[in-house]
Amino acid sequence: MAMKALDIYKHLPKTNCKRCGYPTCLAFAMKLAIGKADIEACPDLDPDTKTLLGGVTRPLVRLVEVGAGERSIAVGEEFVLFRHEKTFYHPPGIMVQVSDAWSEDEVRSVVETVKETVVHRVGQDLVLNGVAVKYESNRPDRFAEAVALSGGGSSLPLALIADDPAAFEAALAAAGQYRPLVHAATEENWEALTALAKRYGCPLAVRAAGPAELAVLAVKCAEAGVPDLVLDPAPLSLSDFIATATEIRRAAVGRTEPALGYPLYLDAGAFGETDAALAAGILKYAGIIVTLPLSPASRGAALTLRQNIYTDPQKPIQVMPGIYPINEPGPAAPVLLTVNFSLTYFTLLGYLEASRIPCYLFIADTEGLSVLTAVAGGKLTETLVADSLKKFGVAELVDHRFLVIPGYAAPLSGKIEDATGWKVLVGPRDAADLPGYLEKEWKA
Amino acid sequence: MTEKSDERMAIREVRLGATQAEGGTREVSCVIGGERSLPFSERTPGRLLVALEICDDPRFWPPVVRDYVGDLANNTDEWARAAERTYGADLVRLNFTSTKQRGFNAFDAIAATTEAVLAATARPLIVEGSNEPELDSEVFRRCGEAGEGERLLLGTAEADRYRSVAAAALAYGHAVIAQSPIDVNLAKQLNILLRETGVPQDRIVIDPYTGALGYGFEYTYSVMERIRLAALSGDADLAMPMISAPTDTLSVREVREAAPADREAMAVAWEFYTAYAAFVAGASIVCVRHPLTVERLKKALEV
Repeated sequence: MAMKALDIYKHLPKTNCKRCGYPTCLAFAMKLAIGKADIEACPDLDPDTKTLLGGVTRPLVRLVEVGAGERSIAVGEEFVLFRHEKTFYHPPGIMVQVSDAWSEDEVRSVVETVKETVVHRVGQDLVLNGVAVKYESNRPDRFAEAVALSGGGSSLPLALIADDPAAFEAALAAAGQYRPLVHAATEENWEALTALAKRYGCPLAVRAAGPAELAVLAVKCAEAGVPDLVLDPAPLSLSDFIATATEIRRAAVGRTEPALGYPLYLDAGAFGETDAALAAGILKYAGIIVTLPLSPASRGAALTLRQNIYTDPQKPIQVMPGIYPINEPGPAAPVLLTVNFSLTYFTLLGYLEASRIPCYLFIADTEGLSVLTAVAGGKLTETLVADSLKKFGVAELVDHRFLVIPGYAAPLSGKIEDATGWKVLVGPRDAADLPGYLEKEWKA
Repeated sequence: MTEKSDERMAIREVRLGATQAEGGTREVSCVIGGERSLPFSERTPGRLLVALEICDDPRFWPPVVRDYVGDLANNTDEWARAAERTYGADLVRLNFTSTKQRGFNAFDAIAATTEAVLAATARPLIVEGSNEPELDSEVFRRCGEAGEGERLLLGTAEADRYRSVAAAALAYGHAVIAQSPIDVNLAKQLNILLRETGVPQDRIVIDPYTGALGYGFEYTYSVMERIRLAALSGDADLAMPMISAPTDTLSVREVREAAPADREAMAVAWEFYTAYAAFVAGASIVCVRHPLTVERLKKALEV
């Protein structure tokens, strides 16, 4: 079970020596309590206390970094089982698989696609994260060449997928300094692979069928000196993955089995249903997902699903405030005031685009609150509306002075007229009624 | 844990469709619900169902689907037959989009179409009645009556308009879709309203309203998980199976603005990801509109 900060503090030396990197022992204790500090950072604890505190303060799900440099990915460090409980923090790294049995051109083309794919959605750039090189040639030198061809990890994080230590020897000699993920240590080869991962300081995937076997193997690898592990539960099917991943995540965040407190690995190509596997991995706790090359359609949908699931539920995606032309409006088009809550925006956008009525959507910054909440909480005010009208130069866009406000903002209509000098029309409460309302009521 | 408390924490079973022995004409009836734990953690083969949506007036249907199904769109019963036989859907969902046109009064056609579609398919039928509150009572009466004894799943009851659909369900022995806008408490409230109207709890299917992927789907996903968790921890007013219909996915910007050659792939990918995620969040039935999505979902549920 987790320990409170004050209980942890009782075991610390209380010298406030700062050598752990925190200003006081209490500050260190508070970080330990939420799994964000490592007990090993304290130089004065005896081994017994370290073991005691280590068991209760280690991160619930360890943060593991794959790759080096700008595009490296960090996965793990999650705290909950469901996104509505808090949020999910570290989106899974999606790595596209190539084979060392492929031609140079085939490998290069996938690497370029991964490097260059960017999907822009609501102010974010969504990207694929890396390349997974699979050992299929049975020639270690060829494996090393394919790894070098994939950039060696210098620009994109790599995963090296093999079972033969000799292949890893060759590949790591070429790319070991860029922290590629080594996949995978098994009951048969873990000693050799742990030694290699330790020598190069690389993260190591551990593969075993089921949580109990994984825990045993993870402990062996960690004790042999590789702290950065990723767990591959070797699922038999997609539903087996969902069930096992849920069990592992539950054990980790409940601290019932600390040896399962690592990010998970999923091979999305293993079941012949890559899209379903990608979705399952994104939804249910995968930290690293290796996939076969994706069509542009699948890529866009997968990256968007990942963005959705890793959106902070307490802080919805906000739309940039401003003036948004819809259906190519002219100077006579209506101006529709709304808020920058993304769901409101998307709902309105859907109905307005479908209606084909040209208009300007005028989005005020209500810090992501919906109309109802923004009006009730005083975030949508006449001053904000007046300032935003000026800031976005709305008066220059249209030759009329009518502003349609949302039905729920009706109480503000008089105040907005006074503050802006624009004539206010109160629109409907429901976005679905807006096209009908405009058809009937809009005569600028 | 005693058997009694175990019982309390299971999702209610809802039976859809009636075979001859059950008083209808379906070749099979389906039971959904019955789960006692999180989705995909226990194997319940056959209880996750894919419905293909069709309509009686294709003018109000996504162009990307009309392009794919061609002439079928003008022949509701052939379309229904193909949904089941050609495209492999477990259920057909018939949408009376004809009620969207101004001045609709072809009520006789509602009954005739319902009967024709029932004759064309062997599996349970979901019927989405009118979209106009003023038409609700007549439309639901007609399709409800035409499907008497078949245990249709009738949609859609909403907080401010549920009486007509509830009345038709009660009068003719159908189940009801209870839709509330992405909110656990509103879902619960509507179920209580329906219960007070007399609709039995084992004839209600919750529709939490599904936003499109990238357009609010994150809210849907979490609300579905929360509804399921509340039910499993004993909230009887939320312990109904869920239905998800991500109808807006085929009209999102990414699909509309895709190059004509890519549009179909984009539509199917967008619909597939949303639909599969809805199953993972706890849906028992997912309704899709593109025939290609049906096949992909059926395959995905098998692995």
